[in-house]
Order: sequence, then structure tokens, then C-alpha cells
Amino acid sequence: MKELSEELIIKHSKRKSIIDKITGFFFLFVALICACIIVFTIVFIIVKGISAFTNTYIDSNGNPYKQSFWGFISGMSYTVTNYGALFLLINTIYIVFLSSIISIPVSILTAIFIVRIAPKSIGAIFQTGIEMLASIPSVIFGLFGMGVICPFVNDIATSFGLQTSGGLSVLSGAIVLALMSIPTITLITITSIKSVSNSYIQGSLALGATNSETNFRVVLKGAISGIISGIILGLGRALGEATAVSLVIGNSFAGPNFNPFGIGSTLTSTMMQGIGESVGLNYDIRFSLGILLMFVIVLVNLILNYVKNKITNPYKKSGVLLTFCKNGVIYIKAYFNKSKDNKDEILDKDKEENNISKIENKEDRKDENR
Amino acid sequence: MKIGKLNLNFKNPFKKENFINEGMSRKRLLKDILRNLSTVIFALFCLFILVYIIVYIFTNGSRTLSWDFISGNYQETSVSVRAPDDFSFDDRTFEFTKEGGYRSEKWGISFIDGEDHSGNPTVFIYEVCDNSYFNEFIDSQNNVYTSYSSEEYVANINLIVGDSLELLSDNDGASKIASTLDEASDVTFLNIKTLGRGIRGSLITTLYLILITLIIAVPIGVCAAIYLSLFAKKNKITSLIRSLIDMTSAIPSIIFGFIGALVFIPFMNAVGGTSGGSILSGSLTLAIMLIPTIVKNTEESIIALPKGYMDSSLALGASRTETVFKVMLPNALPGIITAIILSIGRIIGESAALVFAIGVSIQDSIRLTGSSTSLAVHIWSILGSENPDYDSACAISIIILVIVLVLCLITKLISYRFNKKFKGAR
Repeated sequence: MKELSEELIIKHSKRKSIIDKITGFFFLFVALICACIIVFTIVFIIVKGISAFTNTYIDSNGNPYKQSFWGFISGMSYTVTNYGALFLLINTIYIVFLSSIISIPVSILTAIFIVRIAPKSIGAIFQTGIEMLASIPSVIFGLFGMGVICPFVNDIATSFGLQTSGGLSVLSGAIVLALMSIPTITLITITSIKSVSNSYIQGSLALGATNSETNFRVVLKGAISGIISGIILGLGRALGEATAVSLVIGNSFAGPNFNPFGIGSTLTSTMMQGIGESVGLNYDIRFSLGILLMFVIVLVNLILNYVKNKITNPYKKSGVLLTFCKNGVIYIKAYFNKSKDNKDEILDKDKEENNISKIENKEDRKDENR
Repeated sequence: MKIGKLNLNFKNPFKKENFINEGMSRKRLLKDILRNLSTVIFALFCLFILVYIIVYIFTNGSRTLSWDFISGNYQETSVSVRAPDDFSFDDRTFEFTKEGGYRSEKWGISFIDGEDHSGNPTVFIYEVCDNSYFNEFIDSQNNVYTSYSSEEYVANINLIVGDSLELLSDNDGASKIASTLDEASDVTFLNIKTLGRGIRGSLITTLYLILITLIIAVPIGVCAAIYLSLFAKKNKITSLIRSLIDMTSAIPSIIFGFIGALVFIPFMNAVGGTSGGSILSGSLTLAIMLIPTIVKNTEESIIALPKGYMDSSLALGASRTETVFKVMLPNALPGIITAIILSIGRIIGESAALVFAIGVSIQDSIRLTGSSTSLAVHIWSILGSENPDYDSACAISIIILVIVLVLCLITKLISYRFNKKFKGAR
């Protein structure tokens, strides 16, 4: 057998390390591409959306005209002469608000049932059901909305003595959106309820609270940050949903309409409306609506994140003092502007760091051994 | 004696004050029951919605769903033929190969009763013998028409019986048409149509979209996931990359559709020589939409692997590259498969992005460089038209729903087995 000379080993390992570096750079490159998608998306939409106001278009009579930005941002009707979007914005927020009135309580209560109340096997069945509901495509919700919910809303309206246009209405849109966001919110609430520390629950029960009091007053409070994340995602899905809403909402071109039984429109439904035969400004203005949509989504995210921080950090001015031992050295760490409830989190975080440093130490030693 | 709020009067144990506390607890009990009941009701409501959707789709769609529906053309075709001018009978005989049907022994053709999509009776062509006189008929351009098929039905037929002209249509039934045909001496007009509204084109488009999108998105997503989980150092750039990819998944799909319309359609027009939206531009759009999903799932499954795998492989002298491709990736395969399955589910269900990135016109002949619709866009397209065709939409929904729900269960099974396998090792 050929003896492995030291040179050969070094040569071999050098080649290996070069290959490793090349693959590392390749993977980094691909990861950077993936990260750039969102940047490009936002830049392209904004550039195209703004160009709708700077370009000159030619109307059916051959006369050039321009869409004014102010007319877009403050307009209450969406017509060929002026594509106004303010009423769309108001109606979108109104419809999503209506849908959240339905979806948030339903989701949270369902999650409590699945995690805390139902026996394990029944809870698993319900959870699978919710996951299946989450995997149903939006266009099928749209079909269900047209075929079942619209007639249902129509029946309700007639029983109140009101008229609807075949059930196509703001309420139908809100119900469809609620059904679509329920699985998203429920699944995330389930995860966050499961991660509530058992000691809170035991403590609450030991203090004499009943099971349901514990569930509603302790578990929900402990899971609130996760629940709000779920709501953020659910509302995000509702805001960005296009096909299902466009089928049931009726697509009005003026508004805003706050009557639940009247037809309405959202930003997304207007984007989808008549896409097959749209050209010129009618087509380009949809990108401007896209900017508006992204703006609304970011705004809702910021507001809910603010609420989340407000709720989860009620003792903003208090601090936490930690003393712990790491690698034989005693550390004292002071955290300010953190709530007392966060203490466990901070401890966990530190524990994690400890573990990681230990593992790194081990690796160091291994290297020495080599 | 006084214990807390409870007043105990031992002289008269049934005095009302003794039960104040019990009254409170009864209130608590009631609240308890109400709370628990509300959770049960809402959980059942969610399950009810799922069942209702499935039942609604299946009851409305199952009647329409058939092999003809799946393999048929969406566009109706209509052909008018007639007997040639110099037509005369000779003494040929006909051999029918198919049993049943109403035969016309004189002409060599048989008909059968059927139903069109709305349940009205229709007369379908059952069999045309090889040497039938019908195979000599000519269409409006005087070309001989021989491509009869069992999907075609007889919309109108004008016959000369004796000296009179008989006008028959598909309402008359197969036996009447066959018997009248046996008496007729000439066929002056025959209009044959196919029913249309099949979904073959959309089905093929969906399959193409799944294939091409995965070919583009999976390698990119897996590579990015490998970088984030195995190569990246813990620093700000890595967390920036990670949060940017996370943010991508929060963008609504309609915005990706815009990107398809803005970037990929012009790109494919310049590179691929297409005009307007094409399956390729749609696949590119779906690919950038799905990359975050694939990255997240693959990364999670790699992180979930026991840490010893990486270390022991390196300790045995393998390079990082070898470790990644020979140890980590094969073991993280369940996660990658989960990512692929989730992606397939999303491609099948996606509609908003494809409306912008491909278009909404339903086609029968599918080219990669041409515009067509996926099944979901097909549904949206027919529902958005003047007279929504619910039966057809529900039938397509059955296909989508079955695939999506089965995929959902498969992912659950895979992740269950994956977790079980590495439970001890972690």
C-alpha cells in the first residue's frame, strides 16, 4: 500500500479547502439572489406604479391626457376620467376589519379547544381539519362564496327586507375573507398556546382558578404575542387575497360603501377586475394600486407590532438583574427596559448562548487534538 | 363564625347567607360551561366549514366530472357536412363492430342517446363503419370529412325522404334519426358538434407549470437553505438575508403577478420569442414566489438533524462540500420533499399571480411559449364570465381539492416520520 506522505495530505486538504470555499461562495451567491427578490419586487412595482402618473396616455378620442396623483390618492370613484383609489383603500380596510371581527374570536377559541380542552386524539383530528382548510386554494373559497355564502347573505338581506345584487356584497366578501384567514390565525395560535410555560398553568390552577379561567386569563395572556403574530399573518392574507374576493364582492366603481349588503370593492378586486381586456392607463394604474396595497400591509403590520410590544412589555421601565455562571466565571448582567415576564426568555437566551459556546469550545479542543 | 366571605351560621344551616358563596360558584360554573361550550362550538364551526366546502364541491361537481370532461377540449367545435353532389348508393354491406346503438344499415352509421352538460337529451355518433357513405361526405370547403368521433353529437340533420325534406335535430332521439335515415335517399345537411368545456388544456398547463417551476425553484431554494443553515456565520448579513427571505413570503401573490407582468413577460418575449404571457413566464413568477417556502422548509429540516452528523463526517476527513452533499442533504430529504409537496399544492391553487403572469384565455392547444390557464385560473375565468358555470367549476375543484388534501396529508405523514426518526438522536 502506498504510504501517505505528509505532502500529499497537505495537498489534498488544500484542494478540499479550495473546493469548500468555492461551494461556500456559490451558496452565498444563491442566497443573496433569494434575498434580492423582495428588493427587486418593491423597486419594480414602485417605479411602474409611479410611471402611471408621469406618462401621457391617449384616450378613445385620440386626445392625450394624464392621471393626476392627487386625483388618484383622494378620488372617490374609479372611472376612465379619474382612477380614484381613496374609497378602495377605505373599503378594503373596512372589509378586512369586518372579517377580523369574525375570524379572530373563532380562531382563538378553536385553538383553545384544540390544545387545552379536547382530548388529544380529537384535538389532532380538529388540527388536521384546520390544516386541510388552510391548504384549500383561494379560488375554491371564491367558488364556495359564490355558490353558498352569496345566496345565504341574500336570504339574510331579504329577511331584513333589504335588496342585494344576488348576494354579491361587502358582507359576503368579509365572510369569505374570514373563512380564509381562520386557519392561518388558528394554526399559529395553537403553536403559541402550546409554548405557554406549564408553570403558569399549574400556578393558576393551584391558586384555585378553574380550568376555563386558567385558559382564558392565563394561557391566552401568555400566548398573546404569538396570537398577535397570527393575526398579523391572517390579516395579511386577507388584505392580499384577490381572486376569492373579486368573485363575491360585486366590484363597485364608487364608494366607499359601508352598507354590508351593498356591493363594494377592494384594492385587490379592482386590480383583478376586467384584466383580460385592459390596456393603457387602465392596466398601468393597477400597479399604483399595488403600491397602495403594500403600503396598507406594511402599515397594518407596524400597528399590530406596536400593539404587540405595548401588550407584552407593560413594565417598560423595570429592569432585570441576572447572575449566572459561565465557563467558571460569574457574570452579572443587568437588562433595562425589559419586562419581568421576559426574564425567562432572557435566561433561556443566555442558556442557549452558553450551550453554543460550550459546543464551540469542544470544537476548539478537537482542532487541538488534530 | 366567619371564614373569608363565607358566613357560617351553625344554628341554622339552611339560612340564605350560607349559600351566598355557593351562588357565586354557581355563577362561576355557568361561566365555565359557557366558555368551554363556546370553544367547542367554534371548533365545530371550523370543521363544519371544511366539511361543507367538500360536500358542496363534490355534490355539484361529481355529475360533470368524467373522462370526457378531463380529456376534452374547452372550445366547442361545429362541422357541417353533406353528401357529395354525385352521391348514389351501391351494393356495399356494413359490418358494425360495436354492440348496441341505433343502426342505420343503409348508411353504415349508428347513433346513441346521451346527455349534454346541462342534462338535455342529445344524440351522439356511436359508430361510423370504415366503408360508410358518411366517410365520403364533404364539408363546406368540399373536403372529404372522415374524422368522426364518439364525442360528436348530431345537432341538426336534413334528409330527403321520398320527395319531402325531413328536418331532424338532437331532440328527436337516436332511434328516430336512425330509422328516418334508413328511409332517406339523400343527406343535404348534417351539423355535428362537440360539447366543449373540457379541461385538457388547463390540466396540461398545470402539469407544465408544476414541472418547470420546481426545476427552477428547488435547486435555488435548496442551495440558499444550505448556505443559511450550514455555511453562514452568525452575523448581521446572514440575519439580513434571512429576514429578507422571510419578508418575501409575506408579499401577496398578486404582487408577484405584477412582477411576472413587468419583468418576466418582457424577459421571455426578448429571450424566448414569445408574445405576451406564456407558461414560461408564469413558471418564473411562481418560482420566485415559492423560493421562500422551499428555503424555510429545507433549512428547518437541516437544522433539525442531529449535530453529530456534520461533526462526525468532518472528523472522518470529509470536506464540507462532501458532507453537505453526501450526509446532510440525503438526511434532510424528507424536509425537501415536504417543501416540494407544499410548493405543488400552492402551484395548483395559485390564481391571482397567474392571471397577471400568463393571462386568462382558456386554450386547447398548449405550447410552452403560448398563453393558457392553469386549473385554478380556469375556474376563476369561468366564474367571472356572464353565466358562471358552477358545475364545471365544481368538477375542476374536485380535482384540485383531492390533490391538495392528499398532499396535505402526505406532508403530515412525512413530518411525523421524520420527527420520530430523529427524536432520540436530537
